[in-house]
Amino acid sequence: MSAMSDALALLALPFAASVVFVLIHAYLGVHVLRRRIVFADLALAQLSALGATVAFANGYAPTSAAGFGYALLFTTIGAALLTLTRTLARYVSQEAFVGIVYVVATAATILVVDRAPQGAEHVKKILIGSILTVEPADVAKFATLYAVIGVLHWFARRPLLALSGEGAPAGRSRAAAWLLDFAFYLSFAIVVTSSVTTAGVLLVFSLLIVPAVIGSIFSDRLPVVLLIAWSAGIAACAVGLAGSYALDLPTGAAMVAAQAGGLLLAGLAKVLLFVAVEQRRRNLRIAIDALATTVLIALLVSSAWLMIVPTGDQPLLALVESTTGIGPTRFLGVGERDGYESAARDAVRFQGEVERLNEMEKAARYQGTPLSDDEVRRIASYQKTFNEMTRGERFVQETLRGKAQTRARWIVGVPGMLVALAGLLWLAHRH
Amino acid sequence: MRAGLLGLVIGAAAQLAASLVFLLAVPASAAVNVVAMTTDLAALVREVGGNLVTVESIVPAGVDPEAFEPRPGDLGKLRRADLLVRVGLGYDYWVDALVRQIGDKRLMRGGEASLDASAGIPLLEIRGQSVMNEGGHAHGVANPHYWLDPDNAIIVTASVADALVRIAPAQREQILANRAGFLSRLETARARWSEALAPFAGTKLIAYHNSWPYFARRFRLDVIAFIEPKAGVAPSPAHLAQVISAGSKANVRAIVHEPYEPDDASRLVARRLSVPMVRLAVSVGSIEGTNDYLSLFDYNVATLAKALGARSP
Repeated sequence: MSAMSDALALLALPFAASVVFVLIHAYLGVHVLRRRIVFADLALAQLSALGATVAFANGYAPTSAAGFGYALLFTTIGAALLTLTRTLARYVSQEAFVGIVYVVATAATILVVDRAPQGAEHVKKILIGSILTVEPADVAKFATLYAVIGVLHWFARRPLLALSGEGAPAGRSRAAAWLLDFAFYLSFAIVVTSSVTTAGVLLVFSLLIVPAVIGSIFSDRLPVVLLIAWSAGIAACAVGLAGSYALDLPTGAAMVAAQAGGLLLAGLAKVLLFVAVEQRRRNLRIAIDALATTVLIALLVSSAWLMIVPTGDQPLLALVESTTGIGPTRFLGVGERDGYESAARDAVRFQGEVERLNEMEKAARYQGTPLSDDEVRRIASYQKTFNEMTRGERFVQETLRGKAQTRARWIVGVPGMLVALAGLLWLAHRH
Repeated sequence: MRAGLLGLVIGAAAQLAASLVFLLAVPASAAVNVVAMTTDLAALVREVGGNLVTVESIVPAGVDPEAFEPRPGDLGKLRRADLLVRVGLGYDYWVDALVRQIGDKRLMRGGEASLDASAGIPLLEIRGQSVMNEGGHAHGVANPHYWLDPDNAIIVTASVADALVRIAPAQREQILANRAGFLSRLETARARWSEALAPFAGTKLIAYHNSWPYFARRFRLDVIAFIEPKAGVAPSPAHLAQVISAGSKANVRAIVHEPYEPDDASRLVARRLSVPMVRLAVSVGSIEGTNDYLSLFDYNVATLAKALGARSP
């Protein structure tokens, strides 16, 4: 019960923050998709990360005003560059420029951070963010800032959409189009800059693109696209946060994975549910065939691998063993089986001994009589011995497993291969 | 009689050999070039070597030695080295790749000019499933932060003194005198530190990384949990919730945070538990005013005592 309330207390703020992020990013993502500059936001996010890194190297925290200032400066330069490249797009694809900006910004980040202690840690932090530890004041700040930008976009929605849709808006001077374009990138830059400090480059990128893609799969009309994008994005964030809590995973990365999962589900739903009956049936068949082919090829490769190198790692066999509970002992004699099982038991027991000694030493640090250096040395030497013995038991297990697999080589390998071949032939024949 | 004569001959030969080695190895004017993996080991070498040595370190202060990426300049440092002092315990295997690159057999693991400073240390937290691989990211067999127990400085300086005497036998007296001077200053300071932290024996703390077992053992502190148990992997919400609930149950009195590490998670836990977050220097030079081995402890002890004292009734 208290674990539940702990979780809610801890996850409420990150969830609030991610709702705010989804609302603005999914909307901007729709623009990005229509402009066909998907990687522009990644480039801008990376430039913002570069700015934050320059600030960090100068001793400012990424969330401080100075940190934001640096990040915004770099992102604004990026926005200007992107605007400029749009006029150059007649000669070379804009994606090329975007790619160059991204790579150079990333390399520059590494160069800048090289001199700073724990720079690598900082680079990683900027990539994965720290949405879990977002503070209430930050969420309020994001909400206000994004609301203002959202309102401004609402007023300029027609020309902005026209610009995103066509590239060269009719009935406007080039200067006006250029200005509007820059205003778009600038607002975009401000959003990305402030989000990256908390959500990290990866999450910002996925929040921009994935919900917008999900929305666009199902509709062309902006209000519908936005509604679907927002619901899907928020749902995926909730799933990501809950999953990160339940499965004990880093939050930012779990949320990115949840977005990807959402996209996968949306894609499947689209081809299997939201199409005409005839098409739906055909898609279902394709999906089943693809799945069957994958499984059969895995079986074929695995059986061949078992026959070629029986003592090597056998991932598929290990998976089957662990899911069915049928261990490698099936192909061992009674004595060997006992040896295998007792080795497994002993390995666990020895590791338990190592942990028990660690606990004992740890307790003696602050209570009772302190252990002398020699007592600590003796404990360490016991532990090393137990570790060696564990390694020995593992070796016994590995050897017996290899023996079992060698015996299974033809008994399992040949039928596996025949089944896989027959299945594949049947699939090929049917088409 | 025969034994006496033999002893005399051997003694004379040894002396001759020693002076020959001395003549060949180190010209009287040149200082011994020592390269230490970390600033902490460099600081200890400086105490023992005094002005007989020039000391360079490879890993900058406050950087995790395991995650450090060497620069081309480090090859130059190693080329000049008469002695390489390693952290050991598998935390600086990557230096082997550098040594192999310059092809100097003396500096290789177990070589005559390579010193593993962890030798003889009473090691803590030996773990199972240690992965020992060549060159790559190898996890150590024990917790590597042994320099954070001042008593371990006695052992490390003994090994360093031995190694330096081997390289510069003529300076033996000076080296031993340097070490004795350092040990007596250490002894006085240690009494002061123990006294300052004595009122807080048994105090529960939470640390960002598992950097403090040796420090905790010497000063009788109990670090009950770590905010980021795996270096570089952001803590999961479940883990943070668990740390917070364990912290409030155990009546934790402060959050110990290493300099240069991102502090948002530490601040969150400190805020939830309403306890101070203290930055302690995990290595020499990682915080202003911790420029040698003794001032590292002066700083850490004073900072911790102040933070804990502020809350005691």
